[in-house]
Amino acid sequence: MTKELFTLEGITRIYKRGNEEIKGVDGLTLKIDKGEYISILGPSGAGKTTFLNMLGCIDSPTSGKLIFYPDNGEMIELTRMKENKLDEFRRENIGFVFADFFLLHSLTATENVELPLIFSSGKKVEDGYSKKVLEMVGLGHRLTHKPLQLSGGEMQRVAVARSMVNQPKVLLADEPTANLDTGNSEVIFNLFEELNSMGMTVVVATHAEELAKRARRIIFLQDGKIVEDKGGK
Amino acid sequence: MKFILFALKNLLRNKIRTLLTVLSIAVSVTVLFSLLSFTKGYEKGMTSELGKMGYQIMIVPRGCPYEAASLALSGGKIPNYFDYSVLEEVKKIPEVEIAAPFFMSAIIRPDEDRTDIYFGMDENMFQMKKYWNIKGSYFKDENSLIMGGDAAYIEQTDEPGQKFYVREKDREFVVTGILERTGTKDDGFFFIPLKAAQEMFGQKDRVTGIAIRVKDPTLIPTVVEQLEKLPDSQVITMSQLMGTMMNLVAQAKTLILSIIIIAIIISALGALNTVLMSVFERTKEIGVMRAMGAGREHVFQLVWVETLVMALISGILGIGIALIGMGLVEKIIKKLLPLAPQGSVVSFDPNTLLICLGFVILVGLVAGIYPAYRASKLKPIEAIRTE
Repeated sequence: MTKELFTLEGITRIYKRGNEEIKGVDGLTLKIDKGEYISILGPSGAGKTTFLNMLGCIDSPTSGKLIFYPDNGEMIELTRMKENKLDEFRRENIGFVFADFFLLHSLTATENVELPLIFSSGKKVEDGYSKKVLEMVGLGHRLTHKPLQLSGGEMQRVAVARSMVNQPKVLLADEPTANLDTGNSEVIFNLFEELNSMGMTVVVATHAEELAKRARRIIFLQDGKIVEDKGGK
Repeated sequence: MKFILFALKNLLRNKIRTLLTVLSIAVSVTVLFSLLSFTKGYEKGMTSELGKMGYQIMIVPRGCPYEAASLALSGGKIPNYFDYSVLEEVKKIPEVEIAAPFFMSAIIRPDEDRTDIYFGMDENMFQMKKYWNIKGSYFKDENSLIMGGDAAYIEQTDEPGQKFYVREKDREFVVTGILERTGTKDDGFFFIPLKAAQEMFGQKDRVTGIAIRVKDPTLIPTVVEQLEKLPDSQVITMSQLMGTMMNLVAQAKTLILSIIIIAIIISALGALNTVLMSVFERTKEIGVMRAMGAGREHVFQLVWVETLVMALISGILGIGIALIGMGLVEKIIKKLLPLAPQGSVVSFDPNTLLICLGFVILVGLVAGIYPAYRASKLKPIEAIRTE
């Protein structure tokens, strides 16, 4: 079984703003192994979010190849997959955490966590797993609370629980602590470490250098290009 | 959490907006259900009432035959008369089984807000009213009177033998029988011997109509052809009367149905607008759902189910309101209609219920297509970036 999880070959994403062309990421080439914990650092506009969006297949590159290696030894070229297959890929393999949490205020913490399960009819998850996941992130006492009854840190923990409920292989977190204080940021990064120790590949885009340093590999981006890959091969 | 529960919770996010949309559809469904129930009930009531008449043809004085016939059926003062001798001519027609002359008139008592209908008849009419159950007996002499069930209730007469005085005509009758309720207009009438009626209203040897039963219903056209030759009278068959009444109802139904369809289209557009607005408001959220692995088909289904659930709730509510308000609708319709059967004119029919529910589901499905399509076309990254 290969160690690799993703291979990116010359991934470029060009956005058009009027007549102007902006490169979100520019010729990214790298490999990501299974079980890695990676921080993506860089100034605003460096391409961190675009990079995560490419990995999570919610955006597609203008050029380049993105390859995914599932456990069965196959090699899947995600850049050539149809949209419905990409949806399935995300359902099965990707968990997203956003800076703004994006929780549904009309649902309880448990219901928010259960949301991805509504769409994953094929994947079996044991009954009560969402509660288990919430307990895992330390919110066993907040199961029936709605987002507005939770603190920012708790909301982000619900979002992390939501990203875990489908038991994905990769967790992609885009500025997960941007709206949190230091204490809560610490809690979230502790969670990422815990998840990584359980075998999940974690890729976090962040501005917080101190927290980013907790990852074993740090990729620095600038103007859409990798300027440094600390800990990478 | 189930998909349907999620859809329901989405609807509850903006309760007022959802409620107003639900109400607008529900009102249309209420009117549709009431109209269909009325048409069904009216047809059923009329068929039953005309079936209980026991005759297929009526001869009425010259004038508007339908007005006279409807007066004869619903009760009232028939202003025209024809000569009793016409009866002899009718009896000569071999296909006629029974010919029953009648004299109908009314005494209006404005101070008591009531109109008493007097129906003069002979034993031939009794032959036609075989289904009558009389407490007491048939006319014993010219001063006999049989009260319809409702009339007896109003007069507080529950036993035969009591006297009944008509002060306007200074005439006294003895109640020989009380009619058990029949569910027809007969319940409100005062039945007296034909001659007594003719005398009381000063129309000796004159009648307001003759009811005719034909030996074989297939012979009705032949009999009608012969009856049409009689002087001073017009012939109307019960099926013609029924047809005319149903035509009137059908015309009104078409008009109301057109208005309902316009109302439903407006409601459907309202539902479409509500769901579309909620899709726009949830653009970012849809993007997040897509990021979590929801496919286009999931987003489409979700929005479609939301519209459908909203339409279904509206349908159930609309039908519920219609069922609760059935009594009121019945009262209004009976007041407006020139000839309404005595029984219920609004009939609850499971088919009507299914038609209305089916219709509202169709409205939901159609109204939901565009917002669902719009939502499903959203690209995850663009949706997430939406401000």
